[in-house]
Amino acid sequence: MWQGRCHSRYSAGDPMTEKTIIQFDHVAKRFDGETILRDINFEIERGKFYTLLGPSGCGKTTILRLIAGFLEPSEGTITFDGQLVNKIPPNKRQVNTVFQDYALFPHLNVFENVAFGLRINKLANKEIEPRVKEALHFVNLDGYQNREIADLSGGQKQRVAIARAIVNRPQVLLLDEPLSALDLKLRTAMQVELRQLQRRLGITFIFVTHDQEEALAMSDEIFVLNQGKIEQSGSPRSIYDEPINRFVADFIGESNIIPGTMLRDRVVSFAGKTFDCVDQGFDEMESVEIVIRPEDLELKPQGEGMLQVRVESQLFRGVHYEMIGKDADGNSWMIHSTKSAQIGEAIGLFFEPEAIHVMRHGETEEDFDRRLESYEGADHD
Amino acid sequence: MVKKRTWSTIYLLCVFAVLYLPIFYLMFYSFNKAGNMTHFTGFTFDWYKEVFSDKRLIVIVIDTVIVALLSSVLSTVLGVFGALAIYLTKRRQYKNMLLSLNNILMVSPDVIIGASFLILFTLIGIKLGFISVLLAHIAFSVPIVVLMVLPKLQEMSPTLIDAARDLGAKRLDVLLKVVIPFITPGIFAGFFMALTYSLDDFAVTFFVTGNGFSTLSVEIYSRARQGISMSINALSTLIFLITLAIVLVYYFSSRGMGKVKHLPGGEDA
Repeated sequence: MWQGRCHSRYSAGDPMTEKTIIQFDHVAKRFDGETILRDINFEIERGKFYTLLGPSGCGKTTILRLIAGFLEPSEGTITFDGQLVNKIPPNKRQVNTVFQDYALFPHLNVFENVAFGLRINKLANKEIEPRVKEALHFVNLDGYQNREIADLSGGQKQRVAIARAIVNRPQVLLLDEPLSALDLKLRTAMQVELRQLQRRLGITFIFVTHDQEEALAMSDEIFVLNQGKIEQSGSPRSIYDEPINRFVADFIGESNIIPGTMLRDRVVSFAGKTFDCVDQGFDEMESVEIVIRPEDLELKPQGEGMLQVRVESQLFRGVHYEMIGKDADGNSWMIHSTKSAQIGEAIGLFFEPEAIHVMRHGETEEDFDRRLESYEGADHD
Repeated sequence: MVKKRTWSTIYLLCVFAVLYLPIFYLMFYSFNKAGNMTHFTGFTFDWYKEVFSDKRLIVIVIDTVIVALLSSVLSTVLGVFGALAIYLTKRRQYKNMLLSLNNILMVSPDVIIGASFLILFTLIGIKLGFISVLLAHIAFSVPIVVLMVLPKLQEMSPTLIDAARDLGAKRLDVLLKVVIPFITPGIFAGFFMALTYSLDDFAVTFFVTGNGFSTLSVEIYSRARQGISMSINALSTLIFLITLAIVLVYYFSSRGMGKVKHLPGGEDA
């Protein structure tokens, strides 16, 4: 029922068929002379799950508030459905927000909280009731209509907040760290539910989080933000496998970041040795940074593998052991493995050429994409 | 442990005895046939009859209640907007300044406020009487309302306003459907405080009543000066009981506030 209505709504107008729904064009935001966002450019497509990921203070919530209309950009333009919306107030936008602290109205019960937006828009009572029930059904809260907000658990409040937002059938749902107040188990369950909900509703979700695991698990596309600018955007896989710089590599997952030198295409030297790799498009003898994920390092007996290290620490992490080894050059290597090695033990490390990811110093996302395209084209020849 | 408990109970009883004994003493002699407060000779309702047959007094009681209700309603409206203004002031300096200006009125002596009103009203030519008393009462009640409403506003999460805007509410809707309902307990508290302050204010009223218009406390004062009549005791007893009733109404209504009534449309099995 819901799906059907959503689709009919999409096909209703001409601009609806357009793929892009939100566009940021050179958007900057300053508060009292302090720059929060600088030169933000991106496009948001219909029906996808986006995540804005970054440490606190990186500007991710500011982007969300710009989309919701709580803030106006200091520079640049924001378009929604092809229309300039820089100065459109939040109550006139087709987006709804799920707030971090839920922001449920304590003087209203569950039904009235969910019905709030519909009542504001003066819908008839007989139309409101089925829609509220439908929204509550969507978040698995059937039969909770008459509960008071104070009597709900954190997870239930979260669901009410989501129901209150989706009942208005927004084109875009904004979620501002909605899971951060929940405990780990509930959080994981809600991640799965949110992703399913997004697929069923078929609308765009923009999710803000500082939790990289959450971002990797849920998104179609991730924007990694740092100090008010987008460091990298792409699918979780591409961001994880090919971080463009030290910040992204460090922020997304664990990584070993080691200085090295690019000898020529597909040959790199680090830790005093030369290795084959799959990266190209660098200058000869260019100094670079190497990323190898800890899970890509395989334990071998001493003397075997590509590198020799001495184990300095070992922790049992449940799924795997986490070990830190030091090589002859003094580089530290974090290793995740189901096999363990004793502290002080000398071991060999093996890794595939594909496990090596080479990063150019100070490379921007555009340069990175250009370099990638150039040698992907070369491969096809 | 038990002993400690007993002592603290005794202490508590002593405190309340000191607070309430004078009132009960006065109430007790309002039933005295002898017409004085030294010898209780017999029980009578005569003094109450005297109060109720005193036409002038009845008019004053009605005037007092009208002034109290009008001033508390108007000052509640003004006070709520005042509190909102202070709450919405972004600059910390201005906020603190406004709040201090508000609090100064609370702590400054009634005599000074009364005298300054007298000077002001004569200066700008407002005739002393009903209007002057009403204006003075509104003026000293507004800071009380602000002080009762502001904590409720500060308790409110600012994202509630964002959420309402996000759901399509215009500014007026935000105020009427989210902010006002949230701060209603504070508004009621402010209203009842203003009501009691107005009902029993003497000092400020004394300055601005003028001829022909009087409120209860001013009237009781002038009668007590003329000579002791037990009808004053009877009147005071009545006022005390009315005040008690207001306090009880406030107590039960504020307790009931926590329970939200079910709104139409929400009923479902």
